[in-house]
Amino acid sequence: MRRTVFRKSLFGFLVLCGLCVLALGARLIAADVDGIAVPKLELHDTHLDNGLRVILVPDHSAPVYAINVTYNVGSRNEPPGHTGYAHLFEHMMFQGSENVGKGEHFILIFNNGGGMNGTTNEDRTNYFEELPKNQLDLGLYLEADRMRSLAVTQPNLDNQRAVVEEERRQSVDNQPYGHADLDIDNLSYDNFAYKHSTIGSMQDLNNASLQDVQNFFKTYYAPDNGVLVLVGDFDPEEALAKVKKYFDAIPSQQPPPKVDLSEEQHYGERRETIYDPLAREPQIIEAYHIPPGNTAENYAAQALAGILSGGQSSRFYQHLVKEKQLAVNVQAEPDARIGPSLFYIVATPRPGVSVADLEKGIDDELAAVIKDGVTADELAKAKTQELRRFIDQRRSTLNTANLIGQYAVYYDDPNLINTVADKEAAVTLDDVHAVATKYFVRDERAVVITMPAPKDSVAGKATGGAQ
Amino acid sequence: MIKRNSELARTLRLSLWPGRLVKGRGKQRPYAVAVAIVALVCASQVRAQGNKGTDVSKVVRLNRAPVSKEVLHVQLPRPTVQKLPNGLTLVLLEDHKLPTVAFTMMIRPGQLADPDDLPGLASFTAAMLREGTTTQTSAQIAKEIDSLGASLGANAGFGSGYLSVNASGLAPDADKILDLMSDVVLHPTFPDSELAQYKQREQSALEQRLSNPGFLANQALRKALYVEPPLSVDSPTKDSIAKVTSADLKKFHDQHFTPGNAIVGVTGDFKTADMRALIEKSFGSWSGAAEAPLALPESRVSEPSKIILVDRPSSVQTYIVAGARTIRRTDPDYYSLVVMNDVLGGGPQARLFLDLREEHSYTYGAYSNMSANIYPGDWTGYAAVRTPVTDGSMTQFVYEYKKIASEAVPASELDDVHRSIIASFALSLEQPAQVLGSWMTVQYYGLAVDYWDKYPDRISGIDAAAVQAAAKKYVDLTHIQWVAVGDRKQIEPVLKKYGSVTVVDADGNPEP
Repeated sequence: MRRTVFRKSLFGFLVLCGLCVLALGARLIAADVDGIAVPKLELHDTHLDNGLRVILVPDHSAPVYAINVTYNVGSRNEPPGHTGYAHLFEHMMFQGSENVGKGEHFILIFNNGGGMNGTTNEDRTNYFEELPKNQLDLGLYLEADRMRSLAVTQPNLDNQRAVVEEERRQSVDNQPYGHADLDIDNLSYDNFAYKHSTIGSMQDLNNASLQDVQNFFKTYYAPDNGVLVLVGDFDPEEALAKVKKYFDAIPSQQPPPKVDLSEEQHYGERRETIYDPLAREPQIIEAYHIPPGNTAENYAAQALAGILSGGQSSRFYQHLVKEKQLAVNVQAEPDARIGPSLFYIVATPRPGVSVADLEKGIDDELAAVIKDGVTADELAKAKTQELRRFIDQRRSTLNTANLIGQYAVYYDDPNLINTVADKEAAVTLDDVHAVATKYFVRDERAVVITMPAPKDSVAGKATGGAQ
Repeated sequence: MIKRNSELARTLRLSLWPGRLVKGRGKQRPYAVAVAIVALVCASQVRAQGNKGTDVSKVVRLNRAPVSKEVLHVQLPRPTVQKLPNGLTLVLLEDHKLPTVAFTMMIRPGQLADPDDLPGLASFTAAMLREGTTTQTSAQIAKEIDSLGASLGANAGFGSGYLSVNASGLAPDADKILDLMSDVVLHPTFPDSELAQYKQREQSALEQRLSNPGFLANQALRKALYVEPPLSVDSPTKDSIAKVTSADLKKFHDQHFTPGNAIVGVTGDFKTADMRALIEKSFGSWSGAAEAPLALPESRVSEPSKIILVDRPSSVQTYIVAGARTIRRTDPDYYSLVVMNDVLGGGPQARLFLDLREEHSYTYGAYSNMSANIYPGDWTGYAAVRTPVTDGSMTQFVYEYKKIASEAVPASELDDVHRSIIASFALSLEQPAQVLGSWMTVQYYGLAVDYWDKYPDRISGIDAAAVQAAAKKYVDLTHIQWVAVGDRKQIEPVLKKYGSVTVVDADGNPEP
């Protein structure tokens, strides 16, 4: 057995004013699968007086740093009539603030050798940049200026509304299967928070007013509703001083209203068929309800997904693609949300195979897990794959910062970056069997079938209960 | 961006731009720059050109954010480059941050060796490597790879002069991963039963691709720019998938899989001497000389500009792409093309994005791209725009292409591009696979060993005159080839304003 011990960094002894260094102790090794050690990170976790949570993570392996600001707002916060606002707002954050012009953010980041983006999902909105280490002030200044003083104008709103509508066309309306991706959530959830799409409806986007956008900013883009994460080549004490310089004066706001994410148990399978003129082959999406992310059951569901479709030795690939030749591909993808989550299965039948036959093939695979469980070899394999993925994610400071920001906002646990691999490793055979039995319930699932429609036709759909 | 099918399938991921986050070099394009002053100028001109009444949302540069004037100069770590007695070139780059290891092997001449009547042969061969060897079945190989948490795959990109085999995993498994990799490279059997299944999957994948507007656009453009196979080919055909045999794959493998044709690169948590020994053990007995370079068609297309409309009924957007042939990777014009491309469309800060998206909101993104190869490559500019603004978007593309060829780039804009390219070296240091790729590029094209050390100075040396000269030569509106994928009924009359239009369907057949 071989161990790689990450060299303990300089900051083991640092006591920083106002910084709570998470006690990671002498044990700097996280998960350990077959002797593989993942170096642990030292998180310096503190709050400014205005409530902004600041997490500083030194990593001197390259002369760069990453900054992530994650706001505790996503499409789950949108009420009916306001769908797509969280994501539209993400675009508005690049339209200028008191000291940064419209579009200047891109220009400053890329001209100085950096990279950046912003993303929105159901649960959170994040903004991130990566820059050479000598540009630490630049990243902090850009994030602070827009948190403090976003300036939105009607022309900029109109412009970005149109860009977002183009994004919707490009990723949904002009793509085969685009609507199936939205409809599966719509069918699966009754609670509006997760029922509606993050991209939103064209009608709601068109109705968004300047006042709406301003209210959204005031409600959600406050320091006490966000987390700032820095990972990279800096001195934490100096970095904290800079963070204070730029962010201290931003006032906190009333906490935003809490969103009820609870979902009543469903009875009766929900089913829809979409006739899609852009599709050339049928597609099946199924969704089963599973518990929220970072729960023992959700980790078991992630392992189960690895067993079902992780790699070419997986059950779906070996049984459905190779042996029975029912499918050209079948993927299991459980998600991990703050609230009730979904276990998706997406499949394309082999040409000439009926959707019904492939559906039955998938059902048989799930039934086999429920009947006999999975093997120790399969679970070990899934865990090793999971660990490998996690290590790869940890390579870049930017990915690391994004994960920490997400863990802080989702679960109030930024240190999950150091413990998630242990949690994944702790899943047992019984856990996997139990989640399959409890959650692969045909009567509670949703199914969206896409069928190719004649090329010149208009997309249509047929909805119904169990067949 | 929606991930689909073989990738994790479902989630619609929304982001500000569908972008790369980190700059790249070598085969990847570096990012570029544009200055607001430029964008403001074009905004006003645009309105003069017929967008009167549109309330243009202007890009503004206030220059108040604190920017360090210093550009952090970094040197890429140098790998160890060695040649085994059998001719196999090794490029070894240690990186001890995390306990992983990654192998990549380039085997010439890849898809460029496809017979004209069997497009895709190299990619079929690559995809079938894992499907059985003299000692292991497809299922055994899959199980072993997955049990190690490793990955192993191969592909042969269209237009690329090599086939790639990639393997990676946890560092302590380096020997096992290398054994698997050498087994599939040296001893594949291409079993008939596996090939029959692969063909079905590939036919289905081809159908899926044919529903994608970007794929349709690039396929048509490639044909317009390169005219003759193998360079004009961008995809296998239903026919080539149907007729390929196991014997074809064996023949391709026997002919081209030689150590003399190959470069293997490794990065990760290992000691160089140990790694060399491991590779010698796995590949030392492999034999075969390097092939003579292929004779490829020389000519750049000098046909007059034309427009190909790929009819995709029910489309709500038009995917517009324009392109022209450019240069070999070793051409002295390379640096000026890199800078020119960055000014024009290298990222969200470049002219096309700021014009078509930020000023006009016609699109979610507009970019340009350049490739240089062992043959003269191409330059392309593209965007997906909503159907009703196809006309306005064409106007802006033409405007930007004319402008970059007819006006000198302002000094501050050029300075930003230089800075952007040079400063981005720091970011690549945390991506050892990318650094390794840069050094493999040096080996592949036979560039100087200090190529990347000198690269920043070469870029800084490109002045406004050189950028304009490159644009004049390569972004030449009289010879640019255009492709528009969209709903013919709505866009054909509009496109006719910009040149002669030929209409084809998704399969490339002419429509009356």
